[in-house]
Amino acid sequence: MTVWRQAGLILLVALGLAGATAAIHPKRPSFLAPPQDPNEVSLAQTKEWGRSVLWVDARSETEFVAEHIPDAICLNFENWNQQFPKFLDHFNPGQRVVVYCSATSCQLSREIAEKLRTSGVADAHYLEGGWEAWKKGQLEGR
Amino acid sequence: MRLPLLLSLFLAVPAFAQLKWDTLEQTVKVKPGDSEAIAKYHFTNVGSKTATIEAVKTSCGCTTAALTKNDYAPGESGEIVARMEIGTRVGHQEKSILVTTKDNPKLPTALRLLADIPEAVVVSPSFVMWSLGEPANPKTIDIKITDGFPAKLLKVDSDNPDIKIEVSEVRPGLEMQVKVTPKNTTRPESATLLVRTDYPTDNPQTYYAYARVK
Repeated sequence: MTVWRQAGLILLVALGLAGATAAIHPKRPSFLAPPQDPNEVSLAQTKEWGRSVLWVDARSETEFVAEHIPDAICLNFENWNQQFPKFLDHFNPGQRVVVYCSATSCQLSREIAEKLRTSGVADAHYLEGGWEAWKKGQLEGR
Repeated sequence: MRLPLLLSLFLAVPAFAQLKWDTLEQTVKVKPGDSEAIAKYHFTNVGSKTATIEAVKTSCGCTTAALTKNDYAPGESGEIVARMEIGTRVGHQEKSILVTTKDNPKLPTALRLLADIPEAVVVSPSFVMWSLGEPANPKTIDIKITDGFPAKLLKVDSDNPDIKIEVSEVRPGLEMQVKVTPKNTTRPESATLLVRTDYPTDNPQTYYAYARVK
């Protein structure tokens, strides 16, 4: 048996096993792209909304103090009871709210946006890519 | 002759330290009033040399992950215990724990802790607002103890006499309806409504709702 036939045979075995795993594994990945969460918004979208957006920084107070989006309010699960009244002082009914945290991998912005919606802020979203995306956008002049 | 050689290479058992995890993802059941969600991730070193866990990092300051030791001999098992502090968190939570081993420092294993946290006391909505000059009509806030949470609603107070409340009990101790009415809407007003409960008995919790005229 030539080397090429052996390689082909191994490849076929590997493909067969991979195919079977993809077909029957209980945690197989979806072949279809997951639908985007309608509450997630891109930086470009927030730029279109302009200055009417109320920004909420869900990161820690230390990170917020170091740097944040202008006029953002620091609101997270640790300081909720102290900061939510302050958020209400800035919020107007019907206003769009966009929450951000550190980066894409951070779940806090999604969780805080969800808590805001259950609290009665109907138009609460979270920023795709978080603070990193904002900083990158600033550097690129977007 | 070459086929068995290639197949043995293909099926070769790795000759290095390797952690095999029972599961990479844990969904924790949380009851209303729980203070933390705890998940345990069990692993075994299935490699042929000692596995050293160099770092365990969590995605959130609210989560800690504890390891009893760092070195695991071949065949030895261990456990990482992750604890997520619940605090004011509600709803679906996803936290990551990244485990880095000496053998594979650039490819940490990501463990996930999932939890759906029910609200112990549902205040809906948690605020009401009037614009300046808007008719000062009453707005309603519903307050409800979640099924299974061993608390009773005692009373609701407003800290601003210019924002009046009228409380009616829907189910005594379990459900209330609060009508909130500002005296007038000609000037900005702000009130915090304090929702008193009897639980826990040694330090009864107060929940909050808010009213604004602005």
